[in-house]
Amino acid sequence: MDIKRSYYEDIELFKSNTILVWSILFLVFLGILPWLVKAYHLLGMSIYILNLITINALVAIGLNILVGYTGQISMGHAGFFAIGAFTSVILVLNWNFPLWIALPVAGFISSAFGFILGLPALRLKGPYLAIATLGFGMSITTIIKHMEFFGGRMGLQAPKLYLFGTPMKDFHYYYVIMTIAVLMVIGAVKLIKTRVGRAFIAIRDSDIAAEAMGVNLTYYKTLAFAVSAFYTGIGGGLYAFILGFINPESFHIIMSIAFLAMVVVGGLGSIMGSIAGAALLTYLDIKLQVVQDIPAIGPALVAFSQKYMSMAGISNIAVIVYGLIMILIVLFEPLGIFGFWIRTKRYWKTWPF
Amino acid sequence: MLGQLIVSGLAVGACYSLLALAMVIIYKTSDVLNFAQGEMAMISTYVAFTLMESYHVPFQWAVIFTFLFAILLGAFFELVFLRQAKDPTVLGLIIITLGFEMILMGFAGWKWGPDQRSLAFPVSNIETYNFFGLVMSKINFWTIVISLVLMFILFLFFRYTKVGIAMRATQQNQLAARVMGIRTKWILSFTWAISSMVGAVAGMLIAALGVLDPPMMMDPLMKSFASAVLGGMTSLPGTAVGGAMLGIIENLFGGYVSLSFKSVVAFAIIVLMLCIKPSGLLAKHYVKKV
Amino acid sequence: MVKRNLGLICLLTLAAFLMTAPVSAQQVRGVTDTEILIGQTGPQTGPAAAWGAVARGSGLFFKGINDEGGIHGRKIKYFLRDDGYQPAKTKAIGTEFVEQIGIFGVVGCVGVGPGMSVRDYYTENKVLMVSFGCSGVTNWIQPFNRYIFPVYQLYVDEAKALTRYFYENMKLTKVAVFYQNDDYGKQGLEGVERYEKEKGLKVVAAVSAEVTDRDLSSHALKLKNSGAEAVVLWAMPTHGALLLAECAKIGYKPQWGTSSTLSDGPLMMQITKGLWAGMINSFPIEPPDSNNPLMVKYRAWHQKYEPNERWGTFYYSGCLYAEPLAEGLRRAGRNLTPETFIKAMETIRDWRGAIGAPITFTPTDHQGTRDTRFAQVQPDGSMKILTDWIRITK
Repeated sequence: MDIKRSYYEDIELFKSNTILVWSILFLVFLGILPWLVKAYHLLGMSIYILNLITINALVAIGLNILVGYTGQISMGHAGFFAIGAFTSVILVLNWNFPLWIALPVAGFISSAFGFILGLPALRLKGPYLAIATLGFGMSITTIIKHMEFFGGRMGLQAPKLYLFGTPMKDFHYYYVIMTIAVLMVIGAVKLIKTRVGRAFIAIRDSDIAAEAMGVNLTYYKTLAFAVSAFYTGIGGGLYAFILGFINPESFHIIMSIAFLAMVVVGGLGSIMGSIAGAALLTYLDIKLQVVQDIPAIGPALVAFSQKYMSMAGISNIAVIVYGLIMILIVLFEPLGIFGFWIRTKRYWKTWPF
Repeated sequence: MLGQLIVSGLAVGACYSLLALAMVIIYKTSDVLNFAQGEMAMISTYVAFTLMESYHVPFQWAVIFTFLFAILLGAFFELVFLRQAKDPTVLGLIIITLGFEMILMGFAGWKWGPDQRSLAFPVSNIETYNFFGLVMSKINFWTIVISLVLMFILFLFFRYTKVGIAMRATQQNQLAARVMGIRTKWILSFTWAISSMVGAVAGMLIAALGVLDPPMMMDPLMKSFASAVLGGMTSLPGTAVGGAMLGIIENLFGGYVSLSFKSVVAFAIIVLMLCIKPSGLLAKHYVKKV
Repeated sequence: MVKRNLGLICLLTLAAFLMTAPVSAQQVRGVTDTEILIGQTGPQTGPAAAWGAVARGSGLFFKGINDEGGIHGRKIKYFLRDDGYQPAKTKAIGTEFVEQIGIFGVVGCVGVGPGMSVRDYYTENKVLMVSFGCSGVTNWIQPFNRYIFPVYQLYVDEAKALTRYFYENMKLTKVAVFYQNDDYGKQGLEGVERYEKEKGLKVVAAVSAEVTDRDLSSHALKLKNSGAEAVVLWAMPTHGALLLAECAKIGYKPQWGTSSTLSDGPLMMQITKGLWAGMINSFPIEPPDSNNPLMVKYRAWHQKYEPNERWGTFYYSGCLYAEPLAEGLRRAGRNLTPETFIKAMETIRDWRGAIGAPITFTPTDHQGTRDTRFAQVQPDGSMKILTDWIRITK
């Protein structure tokens, strides 16, 4: 069942009928998810959180294309996120673009910046690339902050969008975002299976060997940056509208680190992994809050805080847990959540050997 | 004004170069970008603060205990976290340091609360030395002196002692170093311990110049990255040069061009430097053969 | 046969959904016979964590109120959440507050960015927002919003009044401004400029810094070279400490003035090692050791419930922000709905029951405080009140 008999079989989107059926069921599930969440308060979530998770997943996929598949590090993706957000808001606010034009345009502008960043990145590797992208991300934020065109430090208020005459609420946004996300996920999966994707992977494994095999490094490396920035830019545009108000301060380095964490925790080089990583980390980030209410260890932590630590800072336990998760995943499961999935699958497949 | 700007630039650059020194030590030995450097320094400084405030330990003893703590912290991090990583990639190492940074920051916020504190220091930040009308506070002066002295000691250490040469060997090729009989595991722990100690010195001086609160090292960390990149990530004298240059350029830019964009200068320098001469001003560029 | 079963399954599923759909409640969200649900978000972690004390202070206030028997037989159930000063998180918590916990209103919620991201959502869902944002920016009153009742002095007016104080009371005409490069700082600059324009003067120097900047030597130099006699400081406590140290180094000692944000005198004295003495604050709150009967009562509560917490200005300002909420709940009476609450709040005129400036809400203007007063930091760290309440907002 895993043997491919021809090239076209290998690049098919749905490897077998089983996967096709499961995918359709999953799509149906996604379709009714808002109702489930509203009616049952599933896992304490709201539709807004679902939207946020989807957007983060989109960004994580974009970042994964760059980091997981092409092997370039980027710690500045908050910059592309910000560019996407501000551009789409300005397009809709000042020039009355409809959303379905503004988003791709924002995506393309963002990928133009990605291309610009990709050019110097050609010469850099590893830690140096990380620092360069870090610098880029922070410069973008500072520049946006200082330009009155973007609302200055105050930020911009995203205009209310209308869908066939009714103002859009979280509910409507969910379907818009989910449609866009599904399309882009399919796009990403397809991309990896084509020549371009294989070129990316070749560059990651050994770029000198890839060049020897005829892969044009300049073209593909900058393309990786551009595609990655495109995904992130679209994510940024959607983010601006579900949040309602964007200010440059919130696109800081912690956000870049969070995106990177989602990719690594989810699994480098795996689209499904990025989605899982984004979902897990976004959910934890929002929910890992009220320490006192955690069953069993909550009161113990509070008592411990009062004796040895300061009560004022007790919420920091969430931050500690977040950092610990990042470290533990990298140490014990370098392939991330996707690695867990593969191991479980393999365990069941090869049982009882 | 020009003279004063340059003098202040040197002063603040010395702080950056101390922190950069800590980072370069680690990079020279294990090729890891230590993003947790700032927070490690911050925790050590908080330890010094607690010793002096709550336990009324005199300054000299507090410093010594802080150094001990810093050494243990560095070794702990290396032993418990880094060594467990099986064949880590560059990204994996970066994520580990980032995770450690978050743990430390959360821990500091938890233990000491978010209020700003003030670190008691025997040398005052207000009293100044006067050179031809240009002022430099006493702490600033001693920061420059300490950073130069430390850099010089470490430079000699790396170049001429057995342990130093062993550290350089470990960076170039860990397997070959082990074959030659160098105890690489011990060397790595030792490196992290020293780096943490240098970071503690930087942290205490920065806190003395300003306030002590959990996010105090976030900005200096970025600036010290810029200094290290400017001077060369594998060059110890480069940190002093890079730090001084960064401080002076920043101040001149702020004084004459625009104060609001002052922070962007550091990042612009990083990007420019990495485009033109990635190995920095003073480091040799090693080309990795396939 | 398969089709029929399929149809049956679909019908059953639909029926299941319809039956479990929540029945719309007749009662008011967030109000039960025995409880009123109130929430607050605040930065408990992250770079802005110093302001987390505000949310905890409100918690102390509600504990005390509940101890005294609550309001009209209802106790206040308080939900404190950490948003790390990230607007995305604030909105997520906001949806949790409204959709899961079902609160009546929020109090405080420090931050303009976070507040703006959630303001429209709360308005749509008729969530009362008292003392919203804990900041004196104009976003909360323009455009007029029925559900928001801010009680923080407008920064613009505060800065203007401070400059007027320098000019008229202290005869200082050359004024420079050091401001943080954000909406808070810029509104401070605007206030100073407005006053200067009225007098036909110009600000001698306007120096800005980013929130994360830790090196202010060139900023201090610019201020000194401008020859200003007084400097209006509109930044964060850390910057205040750094700037004063830098200016002392180069021997520049102007008259300093700052906003109510830096009014924690004892803390500032400690971190500036005494340089803070002589600073003139806009001080619309009671000093920490004041003998005001309300302050005495709050300090007793503090000793009883949270003795480990530092009695700092940010902390007990949380009490100040919760006071109008309690007063509104009292005036609304037992029949509590958003409408009755709003009407009750709008009857508050010149109310002196808070540990700050007199509070007034009218049906057309919800800016709660229009006065401030000035205090000067004494060498021993205490605050000496210099003036009585000065009207700063018309």
